[in-house]
Amino acid sequence: MLLFDIVFNGNDKMYDRAVADLEAAIAKYGEDKAVGFPETAYSLPCYYSETGEKIATLGEMKNAMGYIKSLMTRERRLDSGFKSGVATALCAEFIEVLKYIDGAQPYELPLEGHFSDAKIRELGVPLVTGDIPGVAVIIGKAPSTQEAVDLVKSYQSQGIFVALVGECCDQLAEAGYKTGFAVRVVPLGKEINSVIHIVSVALRAALIFGNVTPGDKAALQKYTFERINAFVNAFGPLDEMTVACGAGAIWYGFPVVTNDMEYTPSVPKSLIKFEDVSQWNPISLEARGIKLKITNIDIPVAFASAFEGEIIRRGDMQVEFDGSRVDCFELVQTKELTEVEDHKIEVIGPDIDEWGVGEKHSIGYVVEVAGKNMQPDFESVIERKFHSYINCIEGVMHTGQRDMIRVRISKDAYEAGFRLKHIGEVLYAKIKNDYEAIVDKLQVKIYTNPEECTKLRHELAIETFDKRDARLESLTDESVDVYYSCILCQAFSPSHVCVVTPERLGLCGAVSWLDAKATNELDPNGPCQIITKERIIDERTGAYEDVNEAVKKFSQGAVEQVTLYSIMEDPMTSCGCFECICGIEPFSNGVIIANREYAGMTPLGMTFPELASMTGGGVQTPGFMGHGKHFIASKKFMKAEGGIERIVWMPKELKETVAERLNKTAFELYGIENFTDMIGDETIAEDPETLLGFLTEKGHPALGMDPMM
Amino acid sequence: MGEFRMTTVEEFEAATARLLETAEKVGADTWQLRVKQQTPHCKFGETGVCCRLCSMGPCRVTPKAPRGICGCDAAGIVARNYLTFTAGGAATHSDHGREICHTLHETSADGDYKVKDPAKLIRIAKEWGVETEGKDIYDLAHEMAELALLEYGKPFGTQRFLKRAPEHTQEIWAREGIEPRAIDREVSQSMHMTHMGCSSDHKALIRHALRAGLSDGWGGSMMGTEFSDVMFGTPHEIDTEANLGVMEVENVNIVVHGHDPSLSEMICEVADSKEMIEKAKAVGAKGITISGVCCTSNEVTMRRGIPMAGNFLQQENVVLTGACEAIIVDVQCIFPALGPLSKCFHTKFITTSPIAQIPGSEFIPFSPETAGRDAKKIVEMAIENFKNRKPELVHIPDQKQKATVGFSFEEIIHKLDGVTNSFVDKTGTTLPLVDCVKSGVLRGAVAMVGCNNPKVRPDVAHIGLMKKFLENDIIVITTGCSAQAAAKAGLMDKRAKDLCGAGLKRVCELADIPPVLHMGSCVDISRMMILASEIAKDSGWKISEIPVLGCAPEWMSEKAVSIGNYVVATGIDTYLGVEPYATGSKEVDELLKGGLRDWVEACFTVETDIDKLGDMMVEAIEKKREALGI
Repeated sequence: MLLFDIVFNGNDKMYDRAVADLEAAIAKYGEDKAVGFPETAYSLPCYYSETGEKIATLGEMKNAMGYIKSLMTRERRLDSGFKSGVATALCAEFIEVLKYIDGAQPYELPLEGHFSDAKIRELGVPLVTGDIPGVAVIIGKAPSTQEAVDLVKSYQSQGIFVALVGECCDQLAEAGYKTGFAVRVVPLGKEINSVIHIVSVALRAALIFGNVTPGDKAALQKYTFERINAFVNAFGPLDEMTVACGAGAIWYGFPVVTNDMEYTPSVPKSLIKFEDVSQWNPISLEARGIKLKITNIDIPVAFASAFEGEIIRRGDMQVEFDGSRVDCFELVQTKELTEVEDHKIEVIGPDIDEWGVGEKHSIGYVVEVAGKNMQPDFESVIERKFHSYINCIEGVMHTGQRDMIRVRISKDAYEAGFRLKHIGEVLYAKIKNDYEAIVDKLQVKIYTNPEECTKLRHELAIETFDKRDARLESLTDESVDVYYSCILCQAFSPSHVCVVTPERLGLCGAVSWLDAKATNELDPNGPCQIITKERIIDERTGAYEDVNEAVKKFSQGAVEQVTLYSIMEDPMTSCGCFECICGIEPFSNGVIIANREYAGMTPLGMTFPELASMTGGGVQTPGFMGHGKHFIASKKFMKAEGGIERIVWMPKELKETVAERLNKTAFELYGIENFTDMIGDETIAEDPETLLGFLTEKGHPALGMDPMM
Repeated sequence: MGEFRMTTVEEFEAATARLLETAEKVGADTWQLRVKQQTPHCKFGETGVCCRLCSMGPCRVTPKAPRGICGCDAAGIVARNYLTFTAGGAATHSDHGREICHTLHETSADGDYKVKDPAKLIRIAKEWGVETEGKDIYDLAHEMAELALLEYGKPFGTQRFLKRAPEHTQEIWAREGIEPRAIDREVSQSMHMTHMGCSSDHKALIRHALRAGLSDGWGGSMMGTEFSDVMFGTPHEIDTEANLGVMEVENVNIVVHGHDPSLSEMICEVADSKEMIEKAKAVGAKGITISGVCCTSNEVTMRRGIPMAGNFLQQENVVLTGACEAIIVDVQCIFPALGPLSKCFHTKFITTSPIAQIPGSEFIPFSPETAGRDAKKIVEMAIENFKNRKPELVHIPDQKQKATVGFSFEEIIHKLDGVTNSFVDKTGTTLPLVDCVKSGVLRGAVAMVGCNNPKVRPDVAHIGLMKKFLENDIIVITTGCSAQAAAKAGLMDKRAKDLCGAGLKRVCELADIPPVLHMGSCVDISRMMILASEIAKDSGWKISEIPVLGCAPEWMSEKAVSIGNYVVATGIDTYLGVEPYATGSKEVDELLKGGLRDWVEACFTVETDIDKLGDMMVEAIEKKREALGI
């Protein structure tokens, strides 16, 4: 059969199924029944992205079938093939959404089904930085369970996000392979239509990060084609519906690799046939043009960002270092070039072999770096990366920082030969790779004698931390000569620019002023460039001519002016991967803040995903602003509108996270003690009236302030 | 980069109209006027039934007088005329090739002409069974040049390059008795056959026309292309610009025109020298701009990115800009009108070849032995002439488009290699293209070639057809003045992908190519023959089965008929927008438009309604697909 005919037939089949399912649902619930996926502000995301129309009821779905049918042209041209591919995808989305009626949970872990907006936003930063270099969508049944496992593992060890559809989900389960969003191997569902959940991620990324206008089909396709490094691996035997979905994938720019050598012709760079599944990894990467950041690390276990979210339970652990119980710390120290012997890794004290299984011990690892361009300011920048570096080791879990770390090493890792020196190897390789322009030489000392750890913690580490804190305290927007631009996200969000100042870190939460400074040092023409602050326009709002010029330049003219301290007047844009969003709450003259992790309702009547969908993509939305968590306690937080006094509501968890610093700022600025006690949360109010009552009772200062609008 | 927008034929015409005002002002005549004077054309000539091969005539066949004095019928007369026309074209292309071979013989390590692509020379030498090991590249070049020149007159055997064709094609040629022998012999035999009292069997005459055509396409032209590449470099992707707007008002403008790259290569080389640029500055110019017209332009744009000022029917326009210091011509397609026209301006009209000597020109004979000196003299004349410009006559239309050119067969393969997967595919083949066609992503390909002809509104057919093909996912390869029409319109800008159907657009994006590929000058149609042959070998299809068509919608020259013959004889159906002088005989007409299929699996289709022609071609491609079951 001709390729296009296969696509057309597959499209017809998916369409028929969608019609049948929809009719059945209407018969059961009536046309007014609400439909939608949970925790997304984008309605039926694929349909919304393609058409700009939101669908909320079964009746609207019924009407939309007409549009889908209009895509199903049957000319012998690729245009028809592509349109039918998109139609197939939309039908699949319809079939899937019907499963979610009445808050049903059609998928049970390990099957994921629909992804929330929050998860997509969480993927934003690693996708931008290349820590997730791509997305593999694996469909069907591998020739053997082992081949399924090997293929998945090959991608996972490269940091590639893996989505699984169909029988390969069972194959991984059968092999006992650890899956889940945290380890970035996600079984979606067993029917081919469940593939739509990962398509939905790609399309929402275009809306969230790319500022693509829903319904602008050309811009949508351009975004996915140029920026989403996804590809499909489809095991044979292929069928019509799978090939029809493949046509949709190829339309969006995602090549398909299959081992079905007979069913379809091949299409260069788009539909590649290769029998030996063990070669699919490099074939797919080459087909999608994915370049891996190569860091060769000599350790007996895998190293990839996919393992960053891996959790090691007590029963699985060989050893634990717990800074909350015993003395532990991690530290970067600047040394003279002559004091450092490059790549020297010393373990001072007993190694894992010498301890019993499951024991708790002390650890302190000091990375001594030297380099002509090294500055003590960069110590904390490098040190903060330890968490991610060590976490990316397969079978090693790391939390916390400084002297409040906890590290667990799994039995599997230990059995594979992992020892403490390998932590040194990882730190050595990663730091040298990421900071080659500032670190010329580096050595690692790992201490495990409890006495030595105690001594060094107090005499070396804490002293350094205190010094750094004092230095950070002194770093204010006024005390520095320059700010930095950050356009790390432009790969994803082409017109967004962050202006990073000491008191306002990048809204992703990942780039502080010091980070930006170090990044600039690494590559002066790179993503972080110096912005002077010589020509002030308005001190209150933080408006500078220099800043405006830079923003205009780096946004390619998309944004003309921004202020640093206002959310109402030319607020800074958001890329979409912001940690938090704040929005004005008109009843109280205040603002509420919601963080990405918060899944509930806010007093604005919108969830985080809905709030987040109001901004992002590099556009200015007065009254709403994305920002980092750390910024909440800044004295510059919406300073133009009166500052942190305006904060009236936050999710409880976020409030607890920022309480100490926020209360300190409030006290310093306004003399208010325990300010967070005045701030509402979801346990107090999820609607404006209740919130207002609470604020009135507490005498919240925002109530007495001028309205913001 | 601004928004991409095609330039329309209407805009071309508006620019031309403005230049014609200047023509009127200076009292120059132009082809537009001469067309009026020559219309209507002689019907006997146009249908091919006028015979003036002996002095008993001229005879003209009519229903009342169905035979000439000698008794030759319409079929014989038409076929004889068709064969002489073909022989003219074959001789012309092949003689161009011969000049190139002579130039190759003049190459030396420290001379004006060098071997820029030694690898290609060695490749061809091996193909010809010439020992290359341990041989100095220039010794090899001279040896190859001699062998190549023998292809013109060798007493026995057939053309060496025929072996490049797929076996099936070679079998057809052998079966039909049309394997070309020595090139000169096929041309001579043509003249012999058409002599009074020789052949009057139209089938024998047309059969020989195919053979003479093949001696051009697989002989003279192919050698012209291949050895030009050896000397001047095999073209690779390069960016340039097209249309009159490439001429720069502040610069000394030198326009090269004709077909043979030997001279123009040297002109470009010299004009680029510091010495010449300084001289240009000394006379008040900012620099020197070389641009081209016709196939000389195609040769230097393919290899050097020299901008294309225009195609055949724009040759007068470059002079009409009033900013052309010199138009330097070699051979073929040069209007004698340039003589009187240049006299109306300060423009120096410089002829350089004994083959093309034209009244009103300065004749500076150019030879490979003295090339550098000759070129320098010519460039200096142009520079000197800058001060003679008449400012009141200067108007350069602000019209040009970006173009990415340089798609030799080798470069096309290089681009196709770019979409292979190194773990899956072999490189160096046409298979990615074959796969695109098999899967339906591309429906097929059209080779658009040929001239302009006032019988067709200039460039309309080229551009209109190309647009239709692009919309239908049919990729276009092109040479000659057709290529320049595409470039002027903007179809060689990579952004023209947006004018394509989804399939061709995707191919352009993945392979990083424009949808219309410039393959060179008219001798470079030989590149197209190689491409078709390789596709056939890689796919296992016969050439005639490949969904690929030839098309010359605005053809006018004898060369074009010669080309048509070898393209058809190679198995590629060819579509024309202008009738060859053959409708006066039903037998000949039917043979050309149908009967040839029994001989060589392809034939001509002529349709003067260009839109209809396009529809027929799209349909023909779909038919070929159906036959292949793809």
